[in-house]
Amino acid sequence: MAGLKIMQVQPDTMLASGTQFYLDQFEQISDKLPGQNVDWLQSSRNNNLARFGKNGFPTQKDEDWRYTPLKPVTGKAFNLKSAPTSGVEHEDTRSQSALRPIPGLNCHRLVFVDGFPEMSMSDIAGLDGKVSVRSLSEVLAEDPETIRDLLDSVVGESSHGFAALNGALHQDGLVVMLEEGAILSMPLEVVYASNQELTLVQPRNLICLGKGAKAQIIERTVSLSDSSCLHNSVTEVILNEGSELDYYLIQDQSRSSYQVCGVWARQKESSRFSCHTVTFGGGLVRNDLRSEMTGPGAHCDMLGVYSLSAKQHVDNHTTMIHGAAHCTSNELYKGVLDQRSRSVFHGRIKVEKDAQKTDARQSNNTLLLSRDAEIDTKPQLEIYADDVKCSHGATIGQLDETSMFYLRSRGIDPDVARSMLTYAFVNDVLGQIKIEPLRDYLEKALGEQLIREKKLFGQTK
Amino acid sequence: MLTVNNLHASVDGKAILRGINLKVNPGEIHAIMGPNGSGKSTLANVLAGRDNYEVTSGEVVFQDQNLLEMEPEIRAREGVFLAFQYPVEIPGVSNLYLLKAAINSVKKHRGEEELDAMTFLKLIKEKAALVEMKQEFLYRSVNEGFSGGEKKRNEILQMALLEPHLSILDETDSGLDIDALKIVAHGVNTLRNESRSMLVVTHYQRLLDYIVPDYVHVLAHGKIIRSGDKSLALELEAKGYGWIEDHASAA
Ligand SMILES: Nc1ncnc2c1ncn2[C@@H]1O[C@H](COP(=O)(O)OP(=O)(O)OP(=O)(O)O)[C@@H](O)[C@H]1O
Ligand SMILES: [Mg+2]
Repeated sequence: MAGLKIMQVQPDTMLASGTQFYLDQFEQISDKLPGQNVDWLQSSRNNNLARFGKNGFPTQKDEDWRYTPLKPVTGKAFNLKSAPTSGVEHEDTRSQSALRPIPGLNCHRLVFVDGFPEMSMSDIAGLDGKVSVRSLSEVLAEDPETIRDLLDSVVGESSHGFAALNGALHQDGLVVMLEEGAILSMPLEVVYASNQELTLVQPRNLICLGKGAKAQIIERTVSLSDSSCLHNSVTEVILNEGSELDYYLIQDQSRSSYQVCGVWARQKESSRFSCHTVTFGGGLVRNDLRSEMTGPGAHCDMLGVYSLSAKQHVDNHTTMIHGAAHCTSNELYKGVLDQRSRSVFHGRIKVEKDAQKTDARQSNNTLLLSRDAEIDTKPQLEIYADDVKCSHGATIGQLDETSMFYLRSRGIDPDVARSMLTYAFVNDVLGQIKIEPLRDYLEKALGEQLIREKKLFGQTK
Repeated sequence: MLTVNNLHASVDGKAILRGINLKVNPGEIHAIMGPNGSGKSTLANVLAGRDNYEVTSGEVVFQDQNLLEMEPEIRAREGVFLAFQYPVEIPGVSNLYLLKAAINSVKKHRGEEELDAMTFLKLIKEKAALVEMKQEFLYRSVNEGFSGGEKKRNEILQMALLEPHLSILDETDSGLDIDALKIVAHGVNTLRNESRSMLVVTHYQRLLDYIVPDYVHVLAHGKIIRSGDKSLALELEAKGYGWIEDHASAA
């Protein structure tokens, strides 16, 4: 068994807390994970496992995790499924509304349930010959060499314990490869659904665009039940010269679920990466979004919208590395916090010595709908070049009372007025979503969520 | 239509309305004049249900109902409309969306069918033409970047759409040029009939040339200190408020 050797050389006393359970799982399940016959993958899994065993999960003592209590996650034991669910339950899952397509959206589609692809719900037919969309397990079974130099090439060794856990025990995932000049004619939607209680879902995605290639990818994480699951994903994005990727992460899991989502991108000259996160659901969501612009003239947008209530917690942790001259980046995160919800924004911008003419902007704006909600926002600028423009700002505000009265005085219900104003607040971020049916879908979902919350919990002012 | 009895209201413990009495019958137009800071907007806001004013005593009966007990949106649906002295800018909410949400909540309240998109669009274009508002304004954010006069016309557009029983116009004439004043007055007069009433707050006689009131009241220090017919406005224009205030304090 692949992991056995490591287990033997590493006495238990040296293990970081909370890791033993997952090391044991590795023992039990590693021969069922994708890529059994791929040596380089096995050694990568082993390296990651060793690193995870040594460093463990991050804690709040770690500056990068200071405001996000991980006890609810690390204190539970989540199980990686070794085989897809089948039988009656399976029929039930297929009819779930969370799995329904987005109205009006023509797209290619891949659906994963509890980590396993559901080909019956997927549709990736009719792709251009220069475009390859496959599951990771398929690539590893058929031609693993095509991704050998790519997989694990962006995340690197310095990443946190969750990424190491994914590196060791990742399941299936999405592999998108576009050759030079290829264009994905329709958006690709990937749905990750979690279903069974205490499931660990560990997707591993790889997106690699050749020179001048273009793609739009939507990734949705949903729950099929109220179960408590941990969705721990790693996505690596490699953008060659002049390529363009719009990547939308729609996070809508159940309130008892957890999500740690890592996106690591490397951008070459004049490439454009746009990463949108829209977070409605999940009990605790941590997004680690990082882009390293290694070629001149690259552009990266990181845009985020989150609307939270109850005790939801969302932590957006962004790292923008300007590694070459004339690169531009724009970060805009807007959140609406109700009840006892909490959000964290940490925006790191690093401008390397040679990255002259950098233009980096960042802002984080929060609308507090309740006195009990909390926000921590922290910019971190490290600038080693001298000819750069960097700006950052954060605002925190409440719903404008005069606007509320104005709308109500026109006969509009306070719930509707509230949702109109809240919606108006995040409108400029949602408005940047380029796929119209997706934008409509999210606008509607946000509106409905805002009204539903009020009905459920009453006025919180 | 509207009966205000001995209405007292305060802000942060400071008494602003100090015993207002007013009776408005269906079809009547009442002008309210008075010096700056006398409480005209406060009265208008209290009638519309703004909640930072505390009503300390008195009562307001609107169409046989206790107005003060109603939430602002219910008052609006029952037919009270306030044209704001300072209309609010709401970036990110389209004017059209607000208008549609407003008319449909009023319709729903009256047990009428909500308007479908086509019918609504036809209706709103008709109303926009009445106040000579270009259609592009419908698609902009509510009042955002509108000039002072455009904002006031937008208020009248909302009023024309909602067809209220009682319209309260708080200095709708301020900031209007002569042409806009005529347009606004035309909008108001079009709505005028024997069952609709209006309270028109203004500082100037010129508006009353176009919207001719049945009664004129002078509000000072939170009280109506004098009422009369339209000739009172002319007298005020000529003499200012000093003479009545002296009168009132002497009395
Ligand atoms: N929210 C508030 N907080 C504190 N004071 C207030 C508030 N609203 C009104 N006031 C005070 O109440 C008084 C009456 O104000 P109001 O706006 O009703 O006057 P007005 O008659 O409409 O004046 P104008 O002709 O200038 O519009 C003023 O002294 C004003 O400062
Ligand atoms: Mg006033």
